[in-house]
Amino acid sequence: MSRTAAAGDTGDRPAEGPRRVLVLRCPDWLAEEEPDVPGEAARAFEPVVAIIEQFCPQAEVLRPGLAAIAARGPARYFGGEAALASKLAESVCLRGYPCQVGVADGLFAADLAAQSGPGGLLVPPGETPQFLSGVPVAALRIPELTDLLPKLGIRTLGEFAALPAAEAGSRFGAQGTIAHRLARGLDPRPLAPQPPRLDLSVQQVFDPPAEQSDPVIFTAKALADQMHARLSARGLACVRVQVQVLCADGQELTRLWRHDGLLSALAVAERVRWQLEGWRAGQERDDGIGTGGITLLRLVPDQLVRATGHQLSLWGEAVVSDRVARAAIRVQALLGQEAVTRPVLSGGRIPAEQVLLIPFGDSGTPRRPADQPWPGQIPAPAPATVYPEPRAASVADDAGAAVSVSGRAQLSAPPAWLSVDGGPARAVTRWAGPWPVTERWWDPAGARRQARFQLITDDGNAWLTVLQDGQWLIEARYD
Amino acid sequence: MAAGLILERPPDVARVVALSPMRHRDDVLPGAGILPVLPALSDLLPAGGLQRGSVVTSGDWGLLSLALAAGASATGAWCAVTGVPALGVRAAADAGLDPGRLVLIPDPGQNWPQVVASLLDGFDIVLLRPAGQPPAQLRRKLEAAARRHASVLLVAGEWPGAQTRLVVSEEEWTGIGAGYGRLRARKVRVAASGRGAGERPRFRWLWLPGPDGTVTAAEPWLAAGDAAEPLVSSG
Repeated sequence: MSRTAAAGDTGDRPAEGPRRVLVLRCPDWLAEEEPDVPGEAARAFEPVVAIIEQFCPQAEVLRPGLAAIAARGPARYFGGEAALASKLAESVCLRGYPCQVGVADGLFAADLAAQSGPGGLLVPPGETPQFLSGVPVAALRIPELTDLLPKLGIRTLGEFAALPAAEAGSRFGAQGTIAHRLARGLDPRPLAPQPPRLDLSVQQVFDPPAEQSDPVIFTAKALADQMHARLSARGLACVRVQVQVLCADGQELTRLWRHDGLLSALAVAERVRWQLEGWRAGQERDDGIGTGGITLLRLVPDQLVRATGHQLSLWGEAVVSDRVARAAIRVQALLGQEAVTRPVLSGGRIPAEQVLLIPFGDSGTPRRPADQPWPGQIPAPAPATVYPEPRAASVADDAGAAVSVSGRAQLSAPPAWLSVDGGPARAVTRWAGPWPVTERWWDPAGARRQARFQLITDDGNAWLTVLQDGQWLIEARYD
Repeated sequence: MAAGLILERPPDVARVVALSPMRHRDDVLPGAGILPVLPALSDLLPAGGLQRGSVVTSGDWGLLSLALAAGASATGAWCAVTGVPALGVRAAADAGLDPGRLVLIPDPGQNWPQVVASLLDGFDIVLLRPAGQPPAQLRRKLEAAARRHASVLLVAGEWPGAQTRLVVSEEEWTGIGAGYGRLRARKVRVAASGRGAGERPRFRWLWLPGPDGTVTAAEPWLAAGDAAEPLVSSG
């Protein structure tokens, strides 16, 4: 498909009037503020994107659950914006994904329109400022402003848009300028005019074709670095990046990615991975790329803006420096993406439950919060060795009989010998317990009835053991 | 990785890293060449901290390995741990290691030397538990990688070329008796020795860990018989 045709509709030529944007929201994905593992969500959203692409090949994924297309071209084809919106909503809903569709001038308004009413809203051309004027300023989602403006008596976007643009900029800074443009139904940043012949895209040919995703993802990071270097040499940055993948059998996989901040090199690599994995999942194959391999990866910067040095961190916590990211991605290229993880502390009673391992490059938040008290949690200090899978053990009393615990937490005899994984029995010098735990008794699948012990053996090792259904297991070692 | 694929490294990076290993360390760290350690450990190390480009061993895997990395992590250094599939992240965090700056490669596989070399290029500290003692040639290669990238290789195990060796020589748990109490704290004696001539062994008593999981200096041991505290309900 031709890039120039799409560019006409996506706003590279503002002279044609405000661009019409259609936004599709799937509330199921957006219910949680931050998905547990965005990579997972992106992969799961892929079937929906595939449906959207039947209407417009240039679908833009804002985040899992939220996608946009330029409405003008497809609307002509499908017989008007209303027909396009209802056909698209129907196709997506029929596949089992409830959704809302909004059409308006510009992405910001289209997203708000999609949220208005159960099925969304179509704002006719030219009426976007009127539609926005009644919307509360909270819709801007810029906390500094949305707290401040109502105190100044400015409650709606219409009232804010009524301020002179220069005043919004001087009183509220760069964010004020962005917010003011949004309130007037404009794009948040003015698009930089791009000399038509300047090709800022970067590409890498794979010869022989790459059979696995990992080297392609690794290359994507290096390409993104190059692309950023070229852009910044011209004082530019890009809001969106188009990722084109060509396969040996002639298939082409193209996707536009947008990031709320500007896309960092690592963020680009991450999106290439989502794209490849989502695509592979769609093909229901799990052995490599499976189409003769990937022959070309090209990154095309899209929607160029003046670089302001503004960069949101991709991670919630510490900002990963390029140096660290490069090393981690290189190891991922060697061992696979899942082999390199970042730990996130999570809630839970037993040590193995208290940590969530997120593949490097994904970001995530624990399902069970870590900062809440967990009654029955193993008290501090925590063990330095926590086995991902408990190790088998046997605990015997002085007479050599297995130690058991009754339903009333009565011990059959003091533990005297511990053997780990069928190894030689070590004398137990000191011990404490049993501490009975019945967890999640309301949930038959998750219910556990256990008794925990701490044991010290004569070689100086200290163990956290659990007796569950008559079986002794070792969960952790205090070393 | 597909055979024949040549990854083009951004040329400026290769050049700059070779010229000045400190260039990318924008998120780290004051004190050129020395990574800070927890106060309780600084007396054990000749430089008062971890010398960049050096190899430090901590005996068998345990909390001491994590505690050695904790001080630097708290001041912004990044730490990668490889070869430790059963790492207790909670214990690491309680000792002062920032989980947000921790990356785990539990199983580096057959290719582990290449993995470690790659990690040394990016992380300030690489904590490695090797499966057995690596051959001398391999050790020298990784020592050179640590020097070149000015990172610290912490080894949980044997490493004959290490600049500094720490080892837990005595340990005793408190708080637990025969059928009562619970593990509350462990008092250990850590011995440090160096490779340099005239380097005398040093000893320190530590709480490793203390009752709240932190690692602090401890008074020398009193009498082994007083180990257990009175019975305390574990809640």
